[in-house]
Amino acid sequence: MASPKLSIGVPSKGRLKDQAAAIFEKAGIPLRNKGHERGYRATLDGLDGVEVVLTSAAEIVHELKLGRVHLGITGEDLIRETLADVDGSVEFLAPLGLGRANVVVAVPDCWIDVTRMADLEDAAAQFARAHGRRLRVATKYMNLTRRFFAASGVAGYRIVESVGATEAIPAAGTAELIVDITTTGTTLRANHLKVLEDGLILKSQAHLFASLAAPWDASAKKLRDTIAGRLNTLRGLP
Amino acid sequence: MAAESARKFEALEAQATALLDVFKRAGYEQVAPSIIQPADIFLDQIGEQVRSRTYVFTDLAGDELCLRPDLTVPVSRLYLERHPEADTPARYCYNGPAFRFQPDRNNQAHPREFRQAGIESFGEKDKESADVEAVALAVEAVRSAGLKNFWLRFGDIGLFYAFIDALALPERWRLKLRHYFWRPQAIHTLLSHLARGEWPDAEGPVTVLARTLNRDDPEKSEELVARYLDDKGLPLAGNRTLSEITARLLDLLGDLRAEPLRKEVATVIDYFLAVSAPPKEAVERIAMIAKGAGIDLAPPLKAFARRFERLEQGGVDLGKSTFATEFGRSFEYYSGLVFQIEVEGEGDVGQIAGGGRYDGLLAHIGAPREVPAIGAAIHTERLLAAVERRA
Repeated sequence: MASPKLSIGVPSKGRLKDQAAAIFEKAGIPLRNKGHERGYRATLDGLDGVEVVLTSAAEIVHELKLGRVHLGITGEDLIRETLADVDGSVEFLAPLGLGRANVVVAVPDCWIDVTRMADLEDAAAQFARAHGRRLRVATKYMNLTRRFFAASGVAGYRIVESVGATEAIPAAGTAELIVDITTTGTTLRANHLKVLEDGLILKSQAHLFASLAAPWDASAKKLRDTIAGRLNTLRGLP
Repeated sequence: MAAESARKFEALEAQATALLDVFKRAGYEQVAPSIIQPADIFLDQIGEQVRSRTYVFTDLAGDELCLRPDLTVPVSRLYLERHPEADTPARYCYNGPAFRFQPDRNNQAHPREFRQAGIESFGEKDKESADVEAVALAVEAVRSAGLKNFWLRFGDIGLFYAFIDALALPERWRLKLRHYFWRPQAIHTLLSHLARGEWPDAEGPVTVLARTLNRDDPEKSEELVARYLDDKGLPLAGNRTLSEITARLLDLLGDLRAEPLRKEVATVIDYFLAVSAPPKEAVERIAMIAKGAGIDLAPPLKAFARRFERLEQGGVDLGKSTFATEFGRSFEYYSGLVFQIEVEGEGDVGQIAGGGRYDGLLAHIGAPREVPAIGAAIHTERLLAAVERRA
């Protein structure tokens, strides 16, 4: 193949990887790994000039921001969490219906006195008086949390960064509540957590994004339109 | 990223020497607290809004640290290290860098790395004199650096507390209003909410539970709440205790039973928070509001007015100055007088120096008791820029 005219970041692991592979298959441009199975580069069959970069969904956000890939498939949650200027960095080309999940505020379900964000501020004031410190919110979504709490008028808290198994943290006692991603809510319920009534921060899913920082020449634009067109016609298919 | 921390290095150094001379002549000992600080104390005391602008990092040992976003907390820690019993008065001054992320961009008016020169005074029991001294010294310092045509802006959360305490309000509302002072947008919503007396979920299961509780018998109430949790299969987990959950349900019960906040009282609080005028006029207006509300605010108001008189006697011109009841600064550790030295300039560019009283902070960071404390810090880059603009 001649040197690639367009690069696209595709998740390299987890469910999103399999789902993305399936969607390219359906769109008639299946992923073909280059070389051995676990390589980091691939091509789209039937679409010359496209290089697929296989990497993590979080890394794809950075590659898009820096313009090192033209296109990328990743979650809206990661885009909104990571990029300070979303509209100045990426364009939403096609929602893919994959990786649907909600970013929510969840508290222990024994907090029967707390059902809304406003209750949280009152509980935070009480907690500070009783314990001499702020309520702690465990999350990997530090920026989404800060923005949402500020918009809801909640200020008496602090964030502790969580790298995994966030839903188990309140019971363990290293934080009092969490902001986390959930699909069905089963894991939250199993950990005796409840979502606040007005605690939905973001309804997220995976999108095809275009980087505004990448070099867009005519052939890259043409390939972008082809890929976006093919993926968009699939929208709503199972 | 900027390659230099300060462009006008020599001019800043010369200015800092002059400022420190003023402080040292007044009996303040120069100290140099650590630039790297434990993040915990800042995050617990100052909150997430400042964290979002603080450079927080984890070192190789796994400790969460930060580059100090301000010098008041580091100097307070230094005082406690030297005087763990917090029983000795001490006056410190300093000049050194502080660091804050600038969301819009790192520029000359908003450098991410800037120098603060300031003073902190701990353990001075005569608070009125200490307040006057801190303001007067900050004013003298910026004057000595060549600043002219500036004015002061004052606030005093202590006066708000005195006002709220004088109103006939249930304790739970007082606590709420004290807390919401720091949430200027939310306090008006809270007031109209209390005045309407409408409660969400008035018929929900938790409200039904709350109605079975007894405000005079917290122990029995806790038992009832524990039984409710047990019946519903809601195990008590985490750090909030049964008595905390019960206390908030008892507050809810109090609200359900109470008459709504009288409209006149809500209006009076709104009037109070709208006062913004030259100090003398502000005192008169607050006195009138208090009189209208039928409350006695004379002793705190008198003490309040005396500080301004003493400042004027000390040669501080308050002609262009303002006192605003709502002016409270964004650091929640302030507990009394707060002030700012300002010049023309958009946004915070004109804020040359600021300070205030923070009597609660030292107990929160490990002192065995509350320690009277007041400080002031000068943003030295802004001071230099303002002086040079005038020249």
